[in-house]
Order: sequence, then C-alpha cells, then structure tokens
Amino acid sequence: MKVGLFVTCLVDLMRPSIGFASLKLLESAGYEVVVPAAQTCCGQPGYNSGDRNAAQILAKKMLREFAGCDYIVVPSGSCGGMIRAHYPELLAEFPEMTQEVDSIARKTYELTDFLVNVARIDSVPGQFSGSVTYHDSCSGLREMNVKTQPRALLSKVAGLNIREMQQPEQCCGFGGTFAVKYGEISARITDLKCEDVQSAQADALVLGDLGCMLNIEGRMRRRGDNKTRVLHVAEVLAGMTDPVQDLDRRTAG
Amino acid sequence: MSARDNILRRIREANGHEGATGAKERETILARLDARVRGPMPTMDWETLPRFRERCIAMMSTIDEAGSFAEVPRAVASYLKQKNLPTSGACWPEFARLDWAGAGLRVEARPSHGEDKLGITGAFCALAENGTLMLLSGEDTHATTSLLPENHVAIVAASRIVRTMEDAWDLLRSERASLPRQVNFVSGPSRTADIEMTLVLGAHGPFRVHVIVVDA
Amino acid sequence: MQVTSNQFKHAASLKLADPKVQKALRNAKGKLVVARSRSIVELDNFEEIREAAARIRDFGLQHMDVLLEEWEKKAAAAGTIVHWAETPQQVNDLVIGIARKHEVRKIIKSKSMLGEETNLNHALEAAGLDVRETDLGEYIIQQFGETPSHIIAPAVHKSMDDIADLFAEKHGRPRLDDIASLTHEAREILRPHFLDADMGISGANFLVAETGSTMIVTNEGNGRMTTTMPRVHVAITGIEKIVPTLEDISLLLRLLTRSATGQSISNYLSFTTGPKRPGDKDGPGEFHVIIVDAGRTKVLASEIREALRCIRCGACMNHCPVYQNIGGHAYGWVYPGPIGSILTPAYVGIENAIDLPNASTLCNQCGVVCPVKIPLPDLMRKLREEQVQKNLRPWPERLGLRLWAWTAARPAVYGLLTGIAARIGKWLGGRERLLHKLPAAGSEWTSGRDFPAPRGKTFRELYAQHRSRGTQ
Repeated sequence: MKVGLFVTCLVDLMRPSIGFASLKLLESAGYEVVVPAAQTCCGQPGYNSGDRNAAQILAKKMLREFAGCDYIVVPSGSCGGMIRAHYPELLAEFPEMTQEVDSIARKTYELTDFLVNVARIDSVPGQFSGSVTYHDSCSGLREMNVKTQPRALLSKVAGLNIREMQQPEQCCGFGGTFAVKYGEISARITDLKCEDVQSAQADALVLGDLGCMLNIEGRMRRRGDNKTRVLHVAEVLAGMTDPVQDLDRRTAG
Repeated sequence: MSARDNILRRIREANGHEGATGAKERETILARLDARVRGPMPTMDWETLPRFRERCIAMMSTIDEAGSFAEVPRAVASYLKQKNLPTSGACWPEFARLDWAGAGLRVEARPSHGEDKLGITGAFCALAENGTLMLLSGEDTHATTSLLPENHVAIVAASRIVRTMEDAWDLLRSERASLPRQVNFVSGPSRTADIEMTLVLGAHGPFRVHVIVVDA
Repeated sequence: MQVTSNQFKHAASLKLADPKVQKALRNAKGKLVVARSRSIVELDNFEEIREAAARIRDFGLQHMDVLLEEWEKKAAAAGTIVHWAETPQQVNDLVIGIARKHEVRKIIKSKSMLGEETNLNHALEAAGLDVRETDLGEYIIQQFGETPSHIIAPAVHKSMDDIADLFAEKHGRPRLDDIASLTHEAREILRPHFLDADMGISGANFLVAETGSTMIVTNEGNGRMTTTMPRVHVAITGIEKIVPTLEDISLLLRLLTRSATGQSISNYLSFTTGPKRPGDKDGPGEFHVIIVDAGRTKVLASEIREALRCIRCGACMNHCPVYQNIGGHAYGWVYPGPIGSILTPAYVGIENAIDLPNASTLCNQCGVVCPVKIPLPDLMRKLREEQVQKNLRPWPERLGLRLWAWTAARPAVYGLLTGIAARIGKWLGGRERLLHKLPAAGSEWTSGRDFPAPRGKTFRELYAQHRSRGTQ
C-alpha cells in the first residue's frame, strides 16, 4: 500500500525531524512511503484569511501531487483537517473535481490516527524515560477525531508515563494568523495553557501539531521555563527527540 | 406596501420562492403543526411520584404529603409554624371551603395585592421531570397569588402529576379548547445569580415554594 | 446600543489589563462551563436531541413566512395586536406610539436583547417616559449607565463591591456587604414599580406558531410581573424566533437552560396568548407584539443564514477562549463572543465590525457546544471571505497572502526562499535556538512570546539528500 507523506509547510521550514520521524514510523509499519518532492502548502493560511482563490490554487496542486497514493498521512491535525474537512467545501465550485476531492479527503489521515486505526501497530521504536503531558490541538480533536490515538501510542513507549493537564482540550491560542493579528489576546490564551502544562508537572509537553508547538514553546520560554521539553508526538514515538539540542538550551543560561 | 408585506416578501425571496407560498406547500407545513410530533427525549426510567419529590427538593422547593384535601390546612399550618412564617394570606377560591380557621390560619379567597406574605394556590397539573407546577391564568386562578407573596404554597393532587412537559400539553389539549392568557411553569422559589454568578433565592418572586401532594 | 466594534483591539487590550474584569471572567467561566457539562449528562441522547433542535430551527427558517402568518392568525384570534417593524427606528416609534395612546408614564422592562439593538430605552427616555429595567443584572447596569457584557448575565463584569457601592449611592441606604442582602434590597426597591407601572415591555425567547403565543424563559419573577401586572404589555421579538409546535418548544427548552446556565429547567417558563380574558382578575387589557426584521431577512438570504438558528443561550461565548479572556464589552455591540462576531457585522454592516470575525482561532469549542449546531467558525470564515471580496483587508495582508500563494505554487522558488529563511532564522536564533524579535507582522508574536528558531535546512532539501544517498 502506497502512503503519501505530506509533511506540511511548517515542518518543512521549521522542524524537518518531525518529517523524518513520521517517515520512520510509517516505514517501520511496513508501508511504501512516497514523499512528493514538489509539496509545499495545503492552502490553509489563505483559506482561513478569506482568500479562496489563493487556497484553491494550492489545494488543486496538492491533489495533483498526491493523486496516486492509497493513503495520505499528515503529522498535523490542522493540515489534515484542512484536506479532509475543508477541501470538499473549498473546491465545491468545481463540480468536475468532486469525486477526486472526496477521494483525497477520505484517504487523508492524521499520523497517530493512521498508525492506530489503519496500520494497527502494536509497538513503537521510541524510548523515553520521564513523564509527558499531551495537548489536544483543536483541529486534530474536533476535525480529525484525534484524542485517544496519541495516548494509546505514547503508552507503548518504554519508560514513558503520561500525566494529563487539567484542560488538555482547551485551545492554545495559536489559530494560525490569529497569533500575529491579535498577538496580545493570543499570548494571554497561550499563557493560560502554559500554566496548565506546568500544573501537570511533566518533563515534556507532547503535541501533534507544530503550530501549537511553536506557539506554546515560544510563550513558555518567554516565561522563563527552559526546563520543560516540547516535542512532537512523532519524534517521541520514533525515538528521535534529539537530546543534544534540548540540552544546549537548558545550559545556555 | 406595508412593513408586513415587505418583510414577508423578503422572507420568501430569501428562501428561494417567488410570490406567495403555494397551497400544497402551505398544507404540508400546517400538517406538521397539527401532527405535534414529539422529538427525541432522554431516557427517563424513573417512577413519577418519587421523581417529582426528588426534583422539587433539587429545585429548592419543600414538599409534604396529605391524605386528603381536608388535611391540607393542618399540613400548611405545620409548615408555617416550623419555618416561623406568617399565618395569614390569600388563596384561590377553590380552597375557600377548607377549614383554615380550624388550623389556626387566616386565609381569604381573593387575589393577592402585594401585602400578603402567603399565597396558596392549586395547579392545573405538575411535571415530575423537573419538579414543576403548571399554572393557568383564569377567573379563579389568580396570577398574583403565586407571584407576589414571599411564601407560595401549592396544593397538587397526586393524580395530576404527569411526567413531562409534552405530557402536560397533551393533558391541556384534552381538557381545554385553547391556551389561556398565560401558562406558567414554576419550578421552585425565584432566584438569580446576576451578582458574581452566586445563586440567591428570592429575587422578585417568592422566597419559598412549599408543595403539598394530596393523595387524590 | 452604539457600535464601537472597530475599537475591538484597543478595548480588548484594556480588558486584558484590568484585574477586576479578569477576576470576574475567571469566576464566570468556572461556574458556567462546569454547570453546563454536569447538566448535559442528564440527557443521555444529547447529540440526538441537538440534531433534532437544529432541524426544528431550520424548519422555522425555511418556512418562516407561512409559520409567521399562521402565528399571527392565532395570536389575533386571541386578541393580540400584531405589528411588523422593518427597522430599529420603526420598533422604537411603535412602542412610543402605543405608550402615548395609553397615556403611559412608567414602564417596566424585562430583558430584551432586541431592545438593546434598537436603543429602545434611550428612545423611550428621550420621549419623556420613565423606564425601569427589572431583571437584576439589567437593573444594575442601567444604574451604572453601562451596557450588558453578556446576553444571559449582563452584569457579570461587576464585582459585589462595585454593586454594593452603587446601591448605597442610588438607594440612599447603608452599604451592604453580601450578595443575598443586595439582591433582596433590589427586590424591595423594584417591587413598588411592578405594582404601579402602566406598561410592561418584554422580549420573547420564542413565538409558537401552533398557538399564536410568545414565551419567555426567566428565573427572577420579573418576567411574569412585567407580562401580567401593567395594563398594557408589549413584546418585541425577531422574525427568526418562530418555532412550529409546543412539542418543539419543549425539546428546545431542555437544551436552552442547560446550555445557558446548567439548569435542567429555568424557574419560570411563561407562555402568553393574548390579553386579559373575560373573567380574568389579572392580565393586561391590551397585549401588543412587534415582529421585527432589522437585518434578519438579509441574513436569511445570505451564506450565513444558519446564524439565525441561535436561541440565545450564551454557551458559545462561555466556551470561547477569546471571550473568556476579554469579556463582552470589547465586542462593541449587543452580542459578544462567537455569535456576536457573526451577527454584529451582519446587522450593523461588515465595515463597522472588521475585527470581529477575524479575532478567532477557529478552535470550534463554540460549535461543539451550540445546542442548535450553528457552524460558527465556518460562518466567521464566510465573513472573512466577504471582507476580502469587498477589499476591506489591509493591503500588506492581501499582498502577503498573494505572495505566499504565488510562491507555494512554484516549488523551486519556494524551496529556494524557504532554504534561505531556514538558514537566516537558525543564525538569528543563536545558541538558545530562540528568536526574541521578529519583524513586521511577526512583532505581534514576539511582543509576548519567543519564536523557536528553524533548524537550518528544510525537510525537502534534507529528504532529497537522504534519497540521493540511498540511506534508510
């Protein structure tokens, strides 16, 4: 079965390790993984800003690139949700594409959801000695039904224990362009999330979306917390959490 | 064109119709009104009377029982004495012939005008689901009696306790040709949480609601 | 109410910095969110009921004209005098006209958000009438000379101390210091007005087509008094409040009270059908209902028509992370939170409330709790699209998005630019791997947060190397 990996624009620019971790997990599960070389962005920034044309151009591009795959796997609830939940509406003006769009939407999975419900893996390569707390990204939770899957996979990681925060489902305040349009409100919402993360007293915060990750980590460091690690679930499951880089930060002073 | 005409026209256009609604469509819509289909309701695997009792208390009413209407004045007197409440007030005409004086109470069958501290009413029926009284306006069912005094005592026959609001509407339809001026569903003492989201009993309506279920 | 929605960002900033507002918001959130979730448990088929509620509201919107005509027929048969108003001005004029005709001097009011839309109190006072809000929260803000900050709990932004000071000043009595006493003092002060008011004005939560009734959902008792004691009663309500049957109302009520305050039922549900009947000892001699458009037909014809399903429970704002931190006043008009972000531009003009549909993370906590399944984030997105079509977005934003789309559609150019950005970003981030300041729009981010640095190379270039090396 051919799996197309869509790493997302944020992963491509900011954290390639998440892409490689996803690749490792999918290949370990026995899939042939293709990574269309021309992939860039799913179109969500334009879509959420009201620029339908811009979003449609990128959506059509994406459909072309991933047409031959049996599944499309995305290490992000946000971009996965864009494709599955919103592409049908976004491209509704092109009825000749309806079948193609519906097909792509049905084939698109968030990474942990794919690993649990399609690949049905029963072990993961990663190890982690310590506790983690998990933040449910809004789109992953409410558009892609991601809730139990990351936790089920994390509990297979040797040495890891999960400590829930009080409100893991509460929005972190990122909201894409919201964070740069209404930065003050956004930072306040993020601040509350940081307090909640702190209350879990875990060694690491783990998430499934890089947008939330950059947002929460950014506020966390500004608050003076240089101890709590912030990791993507793919990195933890694949055992690719790069202790060297995190150690650098903690001793940077 | 009147405001009415303009508004109705714009509604029709917004819904993709041109001109007045056809007779057939109108018939379908009116049929839905007549059908009065009940929507999905939650599972309600409780017994009616115990549920009514439990919910009255949950909604901050107090509740008592009487074996017959004749026993009601003494039950009311006992409640008022226990709570140290005034023993005179107004009642609905249907209770005029109960022996209030014999129970040491001064109760007059008249509407309440605002000076009364006690109002005694019946109810058209009661709803077990949430501990609710259904009061209908009418010649002998004065609205002010259950509203103005600080203390409201409601006398309800056990046979008039139905399960849900839907059941109450069916009962009303079977006994009355149409709705009275006002139907009030009353579930406990008046309350507000407008100050710091803190619940206070006794806003503009009664501070206390005491329900007496009569075995009848 | 005056529209100040275009001052949203500045107003929000003030609220974020106000410790009293923040304390009140935390208190309210804790109570309302928890109360709702506890009460929903009582409905074991909550999602099924919610779906049915959405269908009931859609039926009402789809067949609004026939249902309103049927309602009017039944209402008139019971003696109700029915008026129709297209604009806010017409509403106020009608009410004043009724008041004049009946030589009304004193008016008592039970809550009406539609009355806030039309600035009714202001118009009545300008016409020389004495208007008293009787709902405790509305009374408090009327005394403060403020506007409501929440559709269910209008004075939620005020502390007990604020109110104690206010009452001591306005009532001329010794200052009280507990909530129960303050509430009972308000009861005492307002009671005489219930007894001698000439006219009562109320809103209506719903219109019942089957019976020609209006109904209100209250807890305090002022709603019953306002609609029963004065000699004239006027109810004002929007066209979209029409519901087919009493059964439909019963279903909606199960969701409304739980969604709003976590109550299984509110204290008083009052269904009014016409004025005093022969033989009644109480009730108004005349009952008027004003059916109001004021922008609703325009919404009905638009892509955001689902917003008209709203039953005014307030659950969306209670669960909204933005509202939870800034409160209602920052939204600048009658309806705050997610529903307000949609209705405000719809009713006052999209150019007068530019920020509102944009000031959302689209998290959909609101949509999940909406008892009638309004797809709130989708409607906000529709308004964002309308802003783009009408050229209302700032040009740097339009340009930035166009550049992004242009570049992302050209993988080679994109790869070049992202490669440069990743390298520069890593360099600027230094050993800490954090950027403390970003330029242009990025400064909105870095004023409150650091930005984790990129890793120096893009995934696409690393993957290409990985492929060419043939390594696993």
